[in-house]
Order: sequence, then C-alpha cells, then structure tokens
Amino acid sequence: MTTPTRGRTLALLLLVPFALFFFVFQIAPLAWVAIHSVQTDAGWSLDNFSKAFGSRFYRQAIQFSLEISFWSSLFGIVIAVIGASSLRRVDSRLRDFVSAFANMTSNFSGVPLAFAFIILLGFNGAITMMLKQSGLIDDFNLYSKTGLIITYTYFQIPLGVLLLYPAFDALREDWRESAALLGANGWAYWRHIGLPVLTPALLGTFVILLANALGAYATVYALTTGNFNVLPIRIAAMVAGDISLDPNLASALAMILVGLMTLVTLVHQWLLRRSYHVAR
Amino acid sequence: MSRAELDAPGLYHRAVVWLLFLILLLPLAGTLLYSVATSWSASILPSGLTFKWYLQLWGDPRFLQAFGQSLVVCVGALVLSVLVILPLLFVVHYHFPRLDALMNILILLPFAVPPVVSSVGLLNLYGSGPLAMVGTPWILIGCYFTVALPFMYRAITNNLQAINLRDLMDAAQLLGASTFQATVLVVLPNLRKGLMIALLLSFSFLFGEFVFANLLVGTRYETLQVYLNNMRNSSGHFNSALVISYFLFVLLLTWGANRLNKDKD
Amino acid sequence: MSFVSVERLDKRYGTTEVFSDISFTVERGEFITLLGPSGCGKSTLLRAIAGLTPINAGTILLDGQNLAPLGPQKRDIGMVFQSYALFPNMNVEQNVAFGLRMQKVKGAESTRRVAEVLALVELGEFAGRYPHQLSGGQCQRVALARSLVTRPRLLLLDEPLSALDARIRKHLREQIRQIQRELGLTTIFVTHDQEEALTMSDRIFLMNKGRIVQSGDAQSLYTAPVDAFAAGFIGNYNLLDAAQASALLQRPIHTRVAIRPEAIELGIDGTLDGEIRSHSLLGNVIRYRVQAHGVQLLVDVLNRTAADLLPDGQRVSLTIGPDALCEVA
Repeated sequence: MTTPTRGRTLALLLLVPFALFFFVFQIAPLAWVAIHSVQTDAGWSLDNFSKAFGSRFYRQAIQFSLEISFWSSLFGIVIAVIGASSLRRVDSRLRDFVSAFANMTSNFSGVPLAFAFIILLGFNGAITMMLKQSGLIDDFNLYSKTGLIITYTYFQIPLGVLLLYPAFDALREDWRESAALLGANGWAYWRHIGLPVLTPALLGTFVILLANALGAYATVYALTTGNFNVLPIRIAAMVAGDISLDPNLASALAMILVGLMTLVTLVHQWLLRRSYHVAR
Repeated sequence: MSRAELDAPGLYHRAVVWLLFLILLLPLAGTLLYSVATSWSASILPSGLTFKWYLQLWGDPRFLQAFGQSLVVCVGALVLSVLVILPLLFVVHYHFPRLDALMNILILLPFAVPPVVSSVGLLNLYGSGPLAMVGTPWILIGCYFTVALPFMYRAITNNLQAINLRDLMDAAQLLGASTFQATVLVVLPNLRKGLMIALLLSFSFLFGEFVFANLLVGTRYETLQVYLNNMRNSSGHFNSALVISYFLFVLLLTWGANRLNKDKD
Repeated sequence: MSFVSVERLDKRYGTTEVFSDISFTVERGEFITLLGPSGCGKSTLLRAIAGLTPINAGTILLDGQNLAPLGPQKRDIGMVFQSYALFPNMNVEQNVAFGLRMQKVKGAESTRRVAEVLALVELGEFAGRYPHQLSGGQCQRVALARSLVTRPRLLLLDEPLSALDARIRKHLREQIRQIQRELGLTTIFVTHDQEEALTMSDRIFLMNKGRIVQSGDAQSLYTAPVDAFAAGFIGNYNLLDAAQASALLQRPIHTRVAIRPEAIELGIDGTLDGEIRSHSLLGNVIRYRVQAHGVQLLVDVLNRTAADLLPDGQRVSLTIGPDALCEVA
C-alpha cells in the first residue's frame, strides 16, 4: 500500500535525525576502530593483531576474559534454571514479589555492586570473617579470578532468571502428568523431557550471559581499580590510561572483543532459528 | 494456604525461591547494614547504628552536583531519544514496514559492540577537531541515546503492533483527520503507557551507566557513578550510604514502571 | 467385589465444591463413561482417580488396593489426555516406549511390545515420525498406544476426541471401543458428548454440578431420564410442566413430563390435533415443530420418502403412547 509522494518525502526527512545520531555515536566510532585495527605507523597491516596474539600478556587478557565469562555464565544459568523453574510453581504473591525483586537487582551491577561485594567478601568483609572464623577457608581474595567469577555470577543470575522464566511457558503441564502416569518421577521427567525441550532457550540464554560478561567493564574496574587483566580493561587502559597510548593496538584488541561478541551473537541467532518444532 | 504448599514439592519450590531471594538480597543487605553502622571493621556485625552517613551524603555539595548532572544527562538522552525515535518508529511502521527488519539488526549493534570498544573510536574521533565533544555532557547524551535505543525501539514497536497502527490511522483519516492530527490525537495517546514504561526502564539503566561516563568525560562532568568510583577511598560507610541512596532511587523508578505495567493490563 | 470402587469422594477448591459424595463401582473389563456438561466435575474426578489431583475425602480402591498413598507413578493406570500430551522431543516410537523405559524394559522386548501396540492402533509405519508431523487423529492414536503399552490395570480417557473433527472422531470411537474389548481393559471415559457416551459405553454416569445424577446403561439413560436436567441433556426431549402436560393429554398430570420427539407418532388418525409450525431437515430425520393444545412440541420423523415432508401449516394428529411419556422430577 503506497502513500502519497509528498508524505513519503516528509517521512524520509524524519528519518534523518535518527540516521545522523546513530551514525555519529554508533557507526562512526565502530568504523574508526575497525579501520585503525589494521593500521600501524607504517600503513595497512595486521601487525596489531600479531602483536596482540603474540604477547603473553594480551593472550592472558583474552584467556581471563573467556574464563570469567564462561564460568560466571555457567553458574549463573544453573542457578537461574533452578530458580526460574521453582518460581513458576509458587503462589502468585511470592512469585510476583521475587520476580519484581530480580528485575530490580538486575540494575545492581557495576560500581555499586563492586562496593557491596567488597563490604561482604573483601579482606575484612563480613562473610570473609564468618568463613574464616568457622574454619571453612583460610583466606579469600575477592580481587582474584575466583572472586571475579563469584561477583559476575551474582549479576548474571537476575538476567538469567528474567530471560528463562518465559521459556518455561513451552513446558506443558500435561507432559509432566503424562510422564508421571507412565512411571517417571520428577528427576526422570526433567532428564527425558523437560531439559531437552528447554535446551534451545537454555543455550540462547547462556549465550546472552556470555556476551554480557565479556563486555563488562564497570564491575571489574571498580573492584580491582583497573588492575585485573581482562580485555575491556586492557583496551580502556590503552586509550585513557596514563602509561601508554596506542590507539591502533587498542583498536585491534577492541576488534578481537567485538569478534568474540559477534561470534556469540551469531551463535545465538542460529540457535533461535533452530528453535524446536516444540514451539507449536 | 492451599494444600499444595504443604506437601513436599510445594515446600521445595518455596525453599528454592526464598533461597534465590536471599542470594540476591545479601549484597544489598550487607551494604544497607554498613550504611547505618557507626563502625564495622574486622567483625561479623557492626558496632552501632546511625544515620549520620546519610546526612553527610545528602549534605555534600559534590554529591548533589553529581546527582544533578546524572539527571541532566539521562533526562537529556531520553528527551533526545523520544524526539528522534518516535518519528522514526512512526515512519518505519506506517510508510516503510520493510525497514523494520533492518532496524532490528541495527539495534543489535549497541549489544554486540561493548561501550569500551566504542569509546576507543569516540575518544579519537571527537577528542579534538571540529566535533570535539569529549569531556562535555553532549557526548554522553549522544552515547546514552544509543544505549537506550534498543529498549525504546523494541518497547514502542511492540506497543505499535499491539494497537495496530495502520488500522487506527486509516480509520482516523477516513473520518477526516490529517496525518498529523491522526498521529497526535489518536496514536500518541495510545502509546503513552508503553512509552512511560520504556522511559522509566531506560532511565534506570542509564542512571547506572559507568563506562562511557568514566572514559569519555570522567571528572570533567562528574556523574553519580563516576562520583561513586572517585569516592572509593573515603569511608566505606559513606560509600554504602551512597550506594543505597542510588539503589533506592532506581527502585522507585522500577516500582513505578511495574505499577504502570499492571495498570495497563 | 468390584474392580474399581469409588466411595464418597469429595473435592473442594477453597470453599468451592468441585464434586461431592461421589460413589460408584466399575467391574473388570467394563467401559463406563462419565458424562456431563463443562464444569460438572467429571474431568477433576478422573484426575483424582489418576492421582493427579488430591481429594479431600473418600476412598478409591483399585483391585482391592487403596490408591490413596500412591502417587500417579505407582498406580499402574494409563491415561489419554484431550491435548494428547505427546513429548515433542521424541518420535512416535520413543514416546510409546517411554513407559516401558520407566519400567526398565529395554532392547528387543521393548521394541517388540512397541511394534505390537502401534500395529493395534494402525500406526506401524509412523514409528520414526515426530509429533509435529502428525495429524490430530494420529497424535491421539499414539497417545493411546503409549498408555496401553505398559499394560495398565485401568485406562482413563479425558475427552480424547473433543479436539478432533467429526469424521475422525467417529472412526476413533469405534477403534477405541474395539481395542478395549480385545484387551478386556477396564476403562473410564469422560465426555460431554452424549452420542459418544451412548455409542461406546457399557454404563453411563451422568453428572451435574459435582454429583452423579443418574447411572445406567445407554438405553435406560436415554429412555428414562430422572429429572429435568437429564432430560435436557440427553436427547431432544420435550419438557412439559404439569399444567402443559395436563392440557396436552387431557387428563390430570401432577409432575413434569418428558416426551421423546421420535416417540410421538405423526399421522392423520391420531388422538391429538395439532398443526405444523415449521420444520428442520436433519438429514435422515425431519424435525417438526408442532403446536397442539397450546403446547409446542418437537416431533421427529424418519425421512424415508418425499411424502414424509409435510408443509408448514398442515393439520396433523399425534399419538403419544404411554411408553413415550416419562415422569421427571
């Protein structure tokens, strides 16, 4: 259905502000980074990438990023699945309350979260004290990879719960009843029917959590004052730090991060397409 | 109390949900306790309770300025968003429906490209020269616009599809309204609730944004999150009062969005 | 002693009563139907027998065993749902084999029994298909096969045919009844469709608002409804109150009366005078609306020849034999 040409010209004009702002603040910076990642003082080259992958230091940054993202996403999703599954089966008052609370805590990330964790799990943190006094651990370093994994897991949980909760709609109650009458107890039902049917949603959510953790900067920066070796910190240090400014190398590292994120996003889109005939 | 809650599965589910709630609550509770403690170091419980940290916080001009500047940037970004995105959405859905597919890909960009990466480009492109914006609130407003874009676009798109934009416009025009009148008198009022919710949620998200604020502007236009980070070396109690104040503010916003959401149905 | 014995079952949601004081028995190999309108509690009653819904009071005995302490896994009861409930991540063969798998029956024996039961429902070649590749009728047959393969003591069917179109429904009706007879399987069937109930059941329990209103075989239920509800639910009874009945039959009658439309003879030398107001052609039956002595009656006549179709306004006379009358509460 076509609309009169005068209307269409005006309509096209209305698209201009968006295009302008989007270009200036989203496209242009990305293009700059992409171009400069393959540039050095001597012109076009892939030197930046070979420097990045050649250096143990940068490889460690990539490795730590992947490790922290993977483990926090894994723990986060396991907790989220168990939580979301039970959340659906409690009475509506409790359910609404905890859902709203999960919604609100998904905003609690970055600097405020880092501070909260320092209070609880820092060297003099209340929980650290409790664990030490009860003899469960000797010492706990929040500012290590393990500490970061725990902190990241915390902010992955609400996101996981919010994403997975609607996915359980796909599970029909009469499957569970049918399975019960055929002799399956709760665990057998999950193993043979529940989890297989949920798998696309689970993988999709896992992938989103991965992307969420890979790109996270604020939390790790605030927690370790920019001293932990993960990709986002390395990138930022090279453009805004006071030691060395190498925007080209920074761009290369940035493109590596974008590459990882894009891979993750593509996998997610592919999984969505492969989504079960279950949906019927 | 239904019978279901008294038997084993019901009990298990309630226990799990409460456990989930406690896990999520713990850092908040800890911070809250810290913010009203007189002192709490190297022991499991604080020594005493007081409100002095809050008084100190809300009396600090630097805090109030940071709060105000956060508000300016977030509100500014959202106003910009509304002014730019509403016409965009209208045009896409009414005139060029096939652009929606393209838009859905474009709004993936702020997700696939982390703020750290964009900052590299932003700092170099707009650090100096004709478009020098780094260090001013303007660059923040622009960046926050891209951050809010996916939320706003999706929320209002869903809303538009739910109210069936074409049919409404056609009906209004058949009754004699011009395109402009139809938009303002018929479509916009129907978008109000969805728009409010999108705005509130985007606002709470933007209010907690740190990466752009710290890398692009830093202390030159100190927003609340940057202020929070800069105050890390001051008293932990003060910081906790700060964190709790911030969180209460965000809580208010999301609660408001929730209420509106319930109202809508 | 009866195979299935249900005694004084009560079920409430909060203060709302779903069914109360339900008692009945089922003999081994019998096919009984719980018939009633939506919301009468029949499905909930079935689910209570299956162990899917708890009850507030009463006992359920199956082959002498009290089912109360047993969960649905242990009751050895098969059930077919209205929505089929086929597991979407498994193909037909895996779906059907599921119950056997839970019983730790594997390998050759499992394959043999699955093939056997699939042949019974005539779906042998569909073993490798997935539920989304099957039609509604095929899905329901798979669901039936799945519930039969474990050789349960009791089979429950919860409106299994309601989601299917008319032609498939008729075919499946026969198939289910035939299989049930072959296996001698005690069966409880739930439906709101009186035709299904009448054609398939050995005995029918008519339910209304959580109680069993009438029970009996098809013929007694059909020809002798006990109250106005039963008369209104089964068949197309003419329900007359005492005054109308007295006026029509020209003798004093003190209760409400139900008259079957097909039991009224329509002719030219009957005892009651009337006039045809309108008619509907139902295919093999012509349904006339006849006004007689101030009462409007439905009269059904077999559509044998063109001569059977009488025009509106035609004066006719009716005969209502004593067997056609039924006193109802």
